Amino acid sequence: MNRRDLLKKSLCLAASTAGFGALSSRFSLAHAATMYSKSQRSLLGNDYRALVCVFLYGGNDSFNFIVPRDVSAHATYAATRGAVAVPRSELVPLTPTASGAAYGLHPGVETGAGTPPHPAMTALAGLFNQANSRVAIVANTGPLLHPTTKTQYQNESVALPPQLFSHDDQSAWWQTPTANSFDRIGWGGLLADRFGITNPNQNLAMTISTDGDNVFQTAEDVVPYFVSPWGVDRIGNIDPTWSEPTARRNALYQLLNGPLNNALERTYATGFKRTVSNYEQVITALQPSATTFDAIFGADDTIDDYLTRQLKMVARLISARDTLNMTRQIFFVGFGGFDTHDAQLANHPGLLAAIANGLTKFYQATQQMGIANQVTTFTASEFGRTLTNNGDGTDHGWGGHHLVIGGAVNGGRFYGRFPSLAASNSNPDDAGWGQIIPTTSVDQYAWTLARWYGLQDDADGRGLVFPNVTRFTDVSQNGTGSYHLGFLPAAT
Amino acid sequence: MPRMYRLFAAIAFALAGQANAQTVIFSASFEPPPGGPATDQDAMRFLTQATFGPTMSEFDRLNLIGIDAWLDEQFALPFSRHRPYLEAIAALPEDPEDPEANNVGQQTRNEAFFEHALHAPDQLRQRVAYALSQILVVSDQGGGLGGEPYALAHYYDLLGEHGFGNYRELLEQVTLSPVMGSYLSMLGNRKPDPVNNIRPDENYAREIMQLFSIGLVRLNPNGTEMDDPGQPGFQTLPTYDQETIRGFAHVFTGYTFSGCGVREFEYCSAWEHPERWVQPMAAPEGLWWGDTEYRVWHAYPENKQLLVYPGVSLPNGVLAGRPAPTVAGTGVSAQQDLEAALDNVFNHPNVGPFIGKQLIQRLVTSNPSPAYVGRVAAAFNNNGQGVRGDMRAVVRAILTDPEARGAPSGTTAPRGKLREPLLRMTQLWRAFGAVDASGRYNDWYVWWPGQYIPQSPLHARTVFNFYLPDFKPAGEVAAGGWVAPEFQIQTDGYVTNFSNVLDWMTWNYQGNPSQWADPDMTRLVIETERGLASNNATIDAFIERLNLLMMAGAMSPHMKSTLRTYLLTLPANGENGYRRVWEALWLIMVSPEYVIEK
Repeated sequence: MNRRDLLKKSLCLAASTAGFGALSSRFSLAHAATMYSKSQRSLLGNDYRALVCVFLYGGNDSFNFIVPRDVSAHATYAATRGAVAVPRSELVPLTPTASGAAYGLHPGVETGAGTPPHPAMTALAGLFNQANSRVAIVANTGPLLHPTTKTQYQNESVALPPQLFSHDDQSAWWQTPTANSFDRIGWGGLLADRFGITNPNQNLAMTISTDGDNVFQTAEDVVPYFVSPWGVDRIGNIDPTWSEPTARRNALYQLLNGPLNNALERTYATGFKRTVSNYEQVITALQPSATTFDAIFGADDTIDDYLTRQLKMVARLISARDTLNMTRQIFFVGFGGFDTHDAQLANHPGLLAAIANGLTKFYQATQQMGIANQVTTFTASEFGRTLTNNGDGTDHGWGGHHLVIGGAVNGGRFYGRFPSLAASNSNPDDAGWGQIIPTTSVDQYAWTLARWYGLQDDADGRGLVFPNVTRFTDVSQNGTGSYHLGFLPAAT
Repeated sequence: MPRMYRLFAAIAFALAGQANAQTVIFSASFEPPPGGPATDQDAMRFLTQATFGPTMSEFDRLNLIGIDAWLDEQFALPFSRHRPYLEAIAALPEDPEDPEANNVGQQTRNEAFFEHALHAPDQLRQRVAYALSQILVVSDQGGGLGGEPYALAHYYDLLGEHGFGNYRELLEQVTLSPVMGSYLSMLGNRKPDPVNNIRPDENYAREIMQLFSIGLVRLNPNGTEMDDPGQPGFQTLPTYDQETIRGFAHVFTGYTFSGCGVREFEYCSAWEHPERWVQPMAAPEGLWWGDTEYRVWHAYPENKQLLVYPGVSLPNGVLAGRPAPTVAGTGVSAQQDLEAALDNVFNHPNVGPFIGKQLIQRLVTSNPSPAYVGRVAAAFNNNGQGVRGDMRAVVRAILTDPEARGAPSGTTAPRGKLREPLLRMTQLWRAFGAVDASGRYNDWYVWWPGQYIPQSPLHARTVFNFYLPDFKPAGEVAAGGWVAPEFQIQTDGYVTNFSNVLDWMTWNYQGNPSQWADPDMTRLVIETERGLASNNATIDAFIERLNLLMMAGAMSPHMKSTLRTYLLTLPANGENGYRRVWEALWLIMVSPEYVIEK
């Protein structure tokens, strides 16, 4: 079933933000047949584990999602953000276990109208604030090739990720193992390529997406399985569940079964039959869960929010893990609309409420399945947005805050270092125009997730998948002092 | 405009229904032209290779004038450009019922593609432009090009306009295109700045060699990999090394959008200057701030190691550095270095077989014999009048080669290739004169192929196109050491979804009596076929017609009898007689014998 899908991409090096075109250590002139050969080792851990990537396309303005609540910190924030700032009184308080400045969540409703917070946001804050919290907030994360200071950025004295502030490219660096991966292969795809052998079922990919093609799951060999959130697609004309297609189906299978005198014809026919058997396998496996999660997410025909619809499908797929004979799965969920250059005050709150709604309900679903400790969901987005505004919205930024939710998460605290939110000329973290230099790299974030998923902390594991992560050490207050961030334990 | 099938041809097909598939229908009238097509089947094969799909009228014309004259005609036609189509859509007033219908975006390029594939008279040029777009790749998926549909349409037009010229000129046009400059970051690439640790970007340098001209390893003239005589066993020889990349990287410096002065080099953009996207890049030089220093952005002084190969004109492949000009008007320019570097690339012996083989793969077959590649490479090296890089000669050599016109010899490789999904769509719509009520091919799956169709023009995920030229699907193809690039996009999701797209495309026909048929979708015109299919006495003639039109006569007896048996179980007047037509079309279009074009 494993087929090649996607290809190496040439490095798209920065033009205007020049700096090094640092070559990935994996680059080789030789046209390697397989750069990422199959590992002889399985991933660590004897249980089922799943990673769920929730990618927020467009660049989420997370500086308005997680906002300082301390009076003077908020004043600084509000002064810089001007018209798009969230009033302090409307923030939903977060009470982290570790000491530190006070923060709050955006209420998930349009601010300044006296509307109470969206219940989903209250629920998300509650999940963060509870004892044994399962929500971690990772501050100001973004693609980096090296830890980068403002001075280094301005002098171009360290290599920078190419094409900063470009959607396509920054999306890629959020999903690939390094911030300049030559081959546009994602770290999820890479894990599937190397460790797909972990799964007893070799006919279904480790990687499944409810949002179609994505860089995160792009691999050299393993083709992700795409599932529509509305249900697994069949080839309608040969649908076996009713009578009209039967004769047509039989005719097609007579054609597929030959005699075929050409190797390409035979290869096509084999592949076609395998495609059909794969989707029938998944459809059958999903049948028992048709209404299992309706109480949490709502019935299918009542869901109009694309994120919730996808997460419900992911929950159903996870509930079928035993039937499908899978022990390690990586899911991708995509949700767009975050490029709030305009009308941010009107548009962003609903998006944030949708995130809170989807994530909290999905967590509930994993609890219902009794595997909350075995599923970790994390957000990602190509960039945060500018601290400054353009009148009624914000523009492409760089670092942004993200959430990790799951039963295994060391929650109820902040990880990494929050950046200064001061005005640009007095902000040591500001690359310019309010684009904040990340204080945590995606490498560190991803390695922490992969380490929990079962990637080994050695040269053949971490070293191969995340070669740049050793450039970054978590030296934040309460940091690990290591390459990972500590919001999840390692698999053993 | 619906295609009008010639009554003559229709009757001839009906009468020929029971005839042996190899019968030449028109042989009673005249001898086949000396350059072919020798048979009706080969006429259809030729049109499948040289156009976006055979039509009855093109079939008639080809039989009348022969392949050689047909090629002459096609080579003489100018390229029907795609950018004017976008401009025409932009000029339409907003539709109050559908405000986005006349917005121009990347989806409009897809419309333009189908409009030209279906109706442009310069079919061969359009087909070759499409093939070149899969070799000299740019994409709206990178380089910040997502918001620049006009720029990408212009790039496509460059491929079409120069695709029948000389490859050297085509390479230069591509190199100086700001679209390519953005995609592979030559635009704004600057000379070294050791103080700030800046060195020239190597992106374009790498790809112009690896993908656009010579590939990674030395090739024999027949496209097979050269064996290093100094090493035991079989060992390939690399064509270039890191030093060469650095050399070219230094050449490709100093260029940015046209219209910027030297002081604006680092910030030059096309913002509020859309015309800059459709003009070649320029290399500004001149007086710096304070009128004291003449600044250049091109790396002049360094010696640049370029390619080394037998017959290379640069001594040891080194392009000597020169002092940068310090005043205007010296006649010294970055362009001179660029031209010398492009000459160096163009004259490498790999270009003929490397590019030639890929064009064969796009037009004819995935696994051409080495001899076939050698003949095409020879045409690249010398068009017969001493000119190297003549694309007309190359295309003619590809299409008139005995291995294109008949069964391959000297190879055990499987014949043919997996038909690209886009080409299956254009074939269906051309064969049956597809019409859209709006006059535009703007069906939602044309606009947003997304998960349904794994290709659309200049939309590849990476510079490595939709598939690699040497992709080997697992199983007997890989085991035999053969390749089949198009299999790389035959993934579960796409196979499923594209099969459903084909269902919509075949079921949407003019005259569909169903209340569920959407009159706004593109519709096939299948009257002739309906006449044949809805009468049991002519069911074989119907199958033969589709066999010839869709499969160039290659349908096996097993497939014919399977179709026949199935169709006869369907009511003859189902859906007013149209049912058997779309049923046959869909089954054919997902069948292995059709999907593999031979």
